Amino acid sequence: MNEYIQRFSVRQRIEHFSVMLLFLALGLTGFAQKFVDSPWAIWTINTIGGIDRVRWLHRAAGGMFTVFAMVHISIALFMVLTRRSRPSMIASRKDFQDAITQLRYYLRISDKPARFDRFDYRQKFEYWGMVLGGMLMIATGFMLLYPVIVTRLLPGEFIPVARVAHSNEGLLAFLIVIIWHIFNAHLSPEVFPFDPSIFTGKVSREYMEKEHPLEYARIMREDEEKREAETDEAP
Amino acid sequence: MSWKLLQYLVLFAGLMLISAGQAAPASPDPPSNDDCLTCHGKPDASSKLGDGEALSLYVDRQSFAHSVHGGKLACTNCHTNITAVPHAARQFKDRRAMSLAYYESCKECHFAEYTRLLDGVHYAALAKGKEKAPTCVDCHGSHAMGPPARPRKQISATCAQCHVAVGAAYARSAHSDALAKGNADVPVCTDCHRAHDNANPLTTASHLRISELCAHCHTNEKLMAKYGISTQVLTTYLADFHGMTASLHRSEGLKSAMLTATCTDCHGVHDITWVKGPASGVIKANLLIRCQHCHKGAGPNFSSAWMGHYEPSLRHAPLVYLVKLFYMVFIPFVVGGLVIQILLHLWRVVVNI
Repeated sequence: MNEYIQRFSVRQRIEHFSVMLLFLALGLTGFAQKFVDSPWAIWTINTIGGIDRVRWLHRAAGGMFTVFAMVHISIALFMVLTRRSRPSMIASRKDFQDAITQLRYYLRISDKPARFDRFDYRQKFEYWGMVLGGMLMIATGFMLLYPVIVTRLLPGEFIPVARVAHSNEGLLAFLIVIIWHIFNAHLSPEVFPFDPSIFTGKVSREYMEKEHPLEYARIMREDEEKREAETDEAP
Repeated sequence: MSWKLLQYLVLFAGLMLISAGQAAPASPDPPSNDDCLTCHGKPDASSKLGDGEALSLYVDRQSFAHSVHGGKLACTNCHTNITAVPHAARQFKDRRAMSLAYYESCKECHFAEYTRLLDGVHYAALAKGKEKAPTCVDCHGSHAMGPPARPRKQISATCAQCHVAVGAAYARSAHSDALAKGNADVPVCTDCHRAHDNANPLTTASHLRISELCAHCHTNEKLMAKYGISTQVLTTYLADFHGMTASLHRSEGLKSAMLTATCTDCHGVHDITWVKGPASGVIKANLLIRCQHCHKGAGPNFSSAWMGHYEPSLRHAPLVYLVKLFYMVFIPFVVGGLVIQILLHLWRVVVNI
């Protein structure tokens, strides 16, 4: 039996890598503008070559992020609607139950941790935070880039609203990534120092059994059925 | 007497002779003011210029005595080329040529002002051969000159002699209204443009300095409290898109860029009006026109995207205030929750060991 299980497709790995780079670029060029009073921001702006270039890069990266988000959502919708893929990221009643089970486990009320399927409630939280936060960033970014068009339909006050929302939502996304994502992908004892699965696409059976037992069991069951079908056809 | 001592004596005597030879020959005293006024004190004293214009050579004894220089300077301190009376007639092609021939006299005493003038636009024009560019006497006067800022409104009147249209625009401003009433708090031309080393106000560098110029008074708590004007005007401007862009462009030393709006773009350059006065409706309507100058096609909602120097509050821009408030609660809530989850997770891992 193979030691590793394929967890992420090539498309998913490319998506993660691109969004990671775009996130870094957007964060750097965005916070240089948000915290423009601090010396590091001035240093960053000067190193990049002036505020006009920083803004150009931020907008270009934002435009690419928008394209990636649209492609991702379109593909995800298509795959789920045509039943080519299980809707594994959809939050369900089980996720809330899992969160409570896990909390009881953490507090030592119970000794059984929650048993997760393909994505646990923490991963779903981060994914939906990313998707919804990303949509908010795209919408408010568009409002800030095209205030003339936006104020033909909306009151002028929406522009400073968009500015406050864009700036704070960006900060929130940044904090979630450096605190939550870096912990889960690097510092957590289960994966320390680095969980390479999103880059290699592969995870060990041991990891699957421990972290995603329900999915692992299903994969095993499906493999079993496949083998049985093959042996049935064979004679 | 030794040979050596003799050598010394000869050398010493020789040096004495040389230095005596260099000293000016015993000259007669320069003419006194009374000497000059013997002729120039006659009201009909006049001469003909090269262009045929009659030039009065009369100097009024009283008005010179009452001028800033009265009792301090002799005629010959400025008219240094006159060493004896009577003197030969001097020939000038016209009145301007005569002024230009004398304008360097002032630097004998006022050297600091003269060197500053060399950095100004007026001197730059003069150096290019524009004879109409003002020299000292054009602003300060000559024999009857008084202190330049007494009364203070005299300064604006002086500049308006040449800058007629700008002077008329300034006369419509809130600053000019107060100035006319003898208020010394308001700026006159030289407070923004400086007196001698006035820079070209139309350059990018000057445009980017405007907010600092206005802020010089408009961030002064004590001064603004007298008139009930907010001192937040600069910080609210700098925190917004335009102010941030302008201050960054300035620190980058940008020579040419698409200029972002600064104080004068919305409030007017010289005809700065009182925003709370009866004309405030007009100002609001004008604001959109100002916006459209750069933001082509901006509609009537557009100008209210600018929060008008107010910090967002429930009264001004309530939606902005509420969104800000929401994130002030939401960010610590989410981040705090995640940190608790991480700590619980780590704690359980430690317990399991």
